[in-house]
Amino acid sequence: MKCYVCEKSGNATEAIAVCIVCGMALCKDHLVRADIDMWEGGYPFPPSKLKKKLPRILCKECYDALITQR
Amino acid sequence: MGKEPTSMQKYLAELLGTFMLVWIGPGAGVVAGMLGVKGLADVLAIALAFGIAVAAAIHVVGKISGCHINPAVTIALASRGRFPWKDVFPYICFQLAGAVIASLLFVACLGSQASTSFGLGATTLNSGAGVTIPMGMIGEAIGTFFLMFTIMGVAVDSRAPGGWAGWIIGMVVAGIIITLGPMTGASINPARTFGPYVGNLIFGGPCPWDQFILVYCVAPILGAIIAVFVYDYIAQPDKGK
Repeated sequence: MKCYVCEKSGNATEAIAVCIVCGMALCKDHLVRADIDMWEGGYPFPPSKLKKKLPRILCKECYDALITQR
Repeated sequence: MGKEPTSMQKYLAELLGTFMLVWIGPGAGVVAGMLGVKGLADVLAIALAFGIAVAAAIHVVGKISGCHINPAVTIALASRGRFPWKDVFPYICFQLAGAVIASLLFVACLGSQASTSFGLGATTLNSGAGVTIPMGMIGEAIGTFFLMFTIMGVAVDSRAPGGWAGWIIGMVVAGIIITLGPMTGASINPARTFGPYVGNLIFGGPCPWDQFILVYCVAPILGAIIAVFVYDYIAQPDKGK
């Protein structure tokens, strides 16, 4: 499978990952790794962040929509 | 995704949650008295006010402090290791402070007649109906048992359907008040009684402290602790929660 972003610009680069949100195939130059906080708790317990985060591979568009604009 | 609340933010959330509960709930008792509402209409109005206040507080501050707004709940959760003992004392102090602030500000809204004529909605035993301290203790323990049993079932147990805890717990509080209210005033929460008692101590309303310790502190705490142990035994929820 080829990287969708590279393919649009006329290059054929082998994809190494898939965006977890939109499913776009991505090469290492076009993927973004986001580490998402994991929480436990909630009524009747105070919330607390877990030590380990959940790794997520996203494309740039999904990263901007989900993470950057928060 | 937001930051983890600091200890002080959690304590203030407990203060505000209890403030909300005691201003709205016992406040409804004062207003019902002012309006001359009697009988079942009186109990229903007060029960509904409490239920709505509890439900709203759970949804508003539940994600910050856990919204115990009740020393009996805090102690009961700690008794089975679900809540850190180091936070029990500050939680209770801030809950009591929130209740006192609510009662004092209710006087600020309505004047001292809220205390002298209507007792700031304080709970007292219905001695006219022959309710004694031991009878009141049994009633408050059972009422708080049902409250804590419900909390365990709809919130603590991870198998419970999500999103319903606030309204279900609010409604069970209302139901308990409808039944227990005419006997003991249905405190099921030491902070809910402490606030109006302190307000009445200052402004001249009734505050029978002899009832407070046994009926409105010891009994609810015991009832809540028993509920946690009973639920754990029969339902065996996740150890982690």
